[in-house]
Amino acid sequence: MVRRRQSICRRLWSFGDVASLVCCRDSVRTICPQNICSLRAHMEGKYYSEEAEVDLRDPGRDYELYKYTCQELQRLMAEIQDLKSRGGKDVAVEIEDRRIQSCVHFMTLKKLNRLAHIRLKKGRDQTHEAKQKVDAYHLQLQNLLYEVMHLQKEITKCLEFKSKHEEIDLVSLEEFYKEAPPDISKAEVTMGDPHQQTLARLDWELEQRKRLAEKYRECLSNKEKILKEIEVKKEYLSSLQPRLNSIMQASLPVQEYLFMPFDQAHKQYETARHLPPPLYVLFVQATAYGQACAHMKSSQPPRQDKTLSVAIEGSVDEAKALFKPPEDSQDDESDSDAEEEQTTKRRRPTLGVQLDDKRKEMLKRHPLSVMLDLKCKDDSVLHLTFYYLMNLNIMTVKAKVTTATELITPISAGDLLSPDSVLSCLYPGDHGKKTPNPANQYQFDKVGILTLRDYVLDLGHPYLWVQKLGGLHFPKEQPQHTVIADHSLSASHMETTMKLLKTRVQSRLALHKQFASLEHGIVPVTSDCQYLFPAKVVSRLVKWVTIAHEDYMELHFTKDIVEAGLAGDTNLYYMALVERGTAKLQAAVVLNPGYSSIPPIFQLCLNWKGEKTNSNDDNIRAMESEVNVCYKELCGPRPSHQLLTNQLQRLCVLLDVYLETESHDDSVEGPKEFPQEKMCLRLFRGPSRMKPFKYNHPQGFFSHR
Amino acid sequence: MPGSEGAGEELFPESCFALALRGSWTLAWGLESHPEILRGPNTKMEVFQTLQRLHMTIFSQSVSPCGKFLAAGNNYGQIAVFSLSAALSSEAKEESKKPVVTFQAHDGPVYSMVSTDRHLLSAGDGEVKAWLWAEILKKGCKELWRRQPPYRTSLEVPEINALLLVPKENSLILAGGDCQLHAMDLETGAFTRALRGHTDYIHCLALRERSPEVLSGGEDGAVRLWDLRTAKEVQTIEVYKHEECSRPHNGRWIGCLATDSDWMVCGGGPALTLWHLRSSTPTTIFPMRAPQKHVTFYQDLILSAGQGRCVNQWQLSGELKAQVPGSSPGLLSLSLNQQPAAPECKVLTAAGNSCRVDVFTNLGYRAFSLSF
Repeated sequence: MVRRRQSICRRLWSFGDVASLVCCRDSVRTICPQNICSLRAHMEGKYYSEEAEVDLRDPGRDYELYKYTCQELQRLMAEIQDLKSRGGKDVAVEIEDRRIQSCVHFMTLKKLNRLAHIRLKKGRDQTHEAKQKVDAYHLQLQNLLYEVMHLQKEITKCLEFKSKHEEIDLVSLEEFYKEAPPDISKAEVTMGDPHQQTLARLDWELEQRKRLAEKYRECLSNKEKILKEIEVKKEYLSSLQPRLNSIMQASLPVQEYLFMPFDQAHKQYETARHLPPPLYVLFVQATAYGQACAHMKSSQPPRQDKTLSVAIEGSVDEAKALFKPPEDSQDDESDSDAEEEQTTKRRRPTLGVQLDDKRKEMLKRHPLSVMLDLKCKDDSVLHLTFYYLMNLNIMTVKAKVTTATELITPISAGDLLSPDSVLSCLYPGDHGKKTPNPANQYQFDKVGILTLRDYVLDLGHPYLWVQKLGGLHFPKEQPQHTVIADHSLSASHMETTMKLLKTRVQSRLALHKQFASLEHGIVPVTSDCQYLFPAKVVSRLVKWVTIAHEDYMELHFTKDIVEAGLAGDTNLYYMALVERGTAKLQAAVVLNPGYSSIPPIFQLCLNWKGEKTNSNDDNIRAMESEVNVCYKELCGPRPSHQLLTNQLQRLCVLLDVYLETESHDDSVEGPKEFPQEKMCLRLFRGPSRMKPFKYNHPQGFFSHR
Repeated sequence: MPGSEGAGEELFPESCFALALRGSWTLAWGLESHPEILRGPNTKMEVFQTLQRLHMTIFSQSVSPCGKFLAAGNNYGQIAVFSLSAALSSEAKEESKKPVVTFQAHDGPVYSMVSTDRHLLSAGDGEVKAWLWAEILKKGCKELWRRQPPYRTSLEVPEINALLLVPKENSLILAGGDCQLHAMDLETGAFTRALRGHTDYIHCLALRERSPEVLSGGEDGAVRLWDLRTAKEVQTIEVYKHEECSRPHNGRWIGCLATDSDWMVCGGGPALTLWHLRSSTPTTIFPMRAPQKHVTFYQDLILSAGQGRCVNQWQLSGELKAQVPGSSPGLLSLSLNQQPAAPECKVLTAAGNSCRVDVFTNLGYRAFSLSF
């Protein structure tokens, strides 16, 4: 509406000029329609801006004008009313005159209204402009404040900066001025200026360090030189040893001639006096047994043909340092008493020391050890080293086997002769992993050792028989320190143990040899066992590998053996694969350390027309029982080292029988894969339809068991 | 010394604590596993015995006439007698599940056993032996008599796979490796008849209650029906020739047989099948893949067992009602103790390829196992 009105006004006023407008404004009270008409004539041809006019006019006066106009209007209206009520002839003219006047007043009111609007808009614009300016200033202020803060932070960072040189431990100031050369210290410059002073001190430090590094290098080269010298001297010494040995050898006949060997033995006995009681017992008994054996065997001089030789190793001086030499070496009582005293005395000061040291102290062994070399018939030697753990009061042994000829070690024979397992279970259940002395458990609790098992690789195995050889007997019910080395106990065990040791080594060596050919797929059958098997065996061993205990436990067809507790972790485990044609027979073998008195145990799984194990095929079960239960007929000549190979050969024969007697499926075309070549009386027998697995030697036919 | 005393006091509670800990730990272990399993068999003898037990097969069972004892014969020729009443009683211990007495009855396996009202008859390789139940229970195990059927071959002693009592005639029928059925008079001990006809060895026998007829099933795949009066073969069913039940990959042998007057159920190489005897037609073929070694009628069910752990219960219509797992990987014999003298010992026992005899107090689950 306002805009339209403005445009009308412009049209109306476009005729007047500025001057007349001013006059019009000044004499607004007297405005009349005639005046306006004359104004229009004046304004002709010029653009009139009402906005500009606003600036020129005083709002106060406009207000006055407005008031005045309103009064005039009221007055005129009242007059018109008055005239109308009076009525009359000339009234119409007067009313017309009044109406025209009031029209003019209305025009003025409209004009004032427009002006008020323009003023309002202007006012608003100004306010807005001012506000924007203020905002811009505010933003600038904040930017500046932030900058200030950042700078302040940077300043504090700089202030807090720590130079590396502060950590360096420099020589003290006096020392520096005293020792440093003047070209570094520059006393006149640095005295007053702490910065320069520090720089100079750092220079001096660097200089000193360079010198020391030089010195270090020199020392190293010096050390190398000395090492080389030592090497040369050692070489010389080692070359001296064989020469000395040869001299000794050469002098042997002389010694013998003069009955001198007693002298050497005497020396050994002299050393033996420093042995701890159990080792001493072992030493005496072993020597005695060795001599007795040698005497029994032949009338030759004893030294030549010794199946058992005994020696003492280790430093005698250390042993002397440990023990006050006993007055009488025969008196075991006083000896062990002395030992008791020693240990208790030693333990007291260690109470405050770290647990680790305590453990080491606990597991300490006597510096002297007894070496036992047991020679077997085929010139292989079992080296046993016996140690005595002083604080635990138990004996341990480490074993090593050497053979006369170099052995080609088959992969699967890895564990057979390993020191860890070669003597395991020499007596049933004697794994050598637990301490035989019940009192030890209490000692272990104090220093936080859970079990001796973790330490046996270092210390050797504390087998029960070792304790018995040393004359140590541990009663099960009384965990007390009242164990005394006893000669009779050792003597009673010496012979059986030595025999067991010999058979163990021989059976391990036999296995070792057998494994070499098993790995090449050959089952070695000796001539004296040939009668156990038919001449023609078609099934072949194709694989013989060692497997881990865990793998054995996870096989699906070995569950029975595991559940029966026959698969302990001290056993050795193997996997054999026997093949004939498309039939593959897997055999998982448990080899007890007590082989060959405890037979190897076979579990079978046949892959042929599906997978067959003892749980779904009675004949597979029968084959297992043929090798596992009826093993006695497979032992061969004593000492039955051929058992394993015979069992494997038997397995091949059994597979032949199994495959050849398998009933032919009439519905399938073609010839049988395995024609029956074996002579059998009957194919099946009994409720479980057993196959004829038993071989009858001279006639060569197969029958049922 | 006050210092050392102080140290001692300090140490003491600590070690006590350690001891207490260790004590509870071993206690937990002791509860969890049997000490024998922890240790395992060690000596040569222990290992051998464990292996023997592992490879044991129990071929036959027989309940004593009083119903309170169960005899079981294994592949080593041993017979063990278990006391069912002790094992089933409320205060049964582990020992009561062990045999009351074990004795060596035969050199070879004990394939079959039956009990008369006084005797236990056991058969193995070529011989049948009689034992007095009363003496067995007194642990004086001396054989009463032994008999050997007249065999023609001498190269190999044929085994006896099945024994069958014919109460009406007071005779015993033996069958096995020589492909014949021998009838023995229990009064005199004489072998009266020999029924020939099978071309391979005989696995099983069954008696038809009403008429004096005997069924036999053998390795040759035929079920033959014999009339005892005339000693003639009356009927022959060659099971493997019927396409519905023949399974050539398993062979044609008939391993088990049971009869209930007009009905006969047999299985083995061919599928377990219910036959109508008069018409000699297979009526129901039971969907069981594994060869069955023992089958019996029980009320309106058929119980069967064989390869696999389960005792199978069938409806006559061929539906499998239940499969109850036992502890052996394969079963060879089932025995239902239905002696009226001991109703409290009414159990089903199952034995096979293990040293355990599973006892089922009802048909739903295995209650426990007796063990050699």
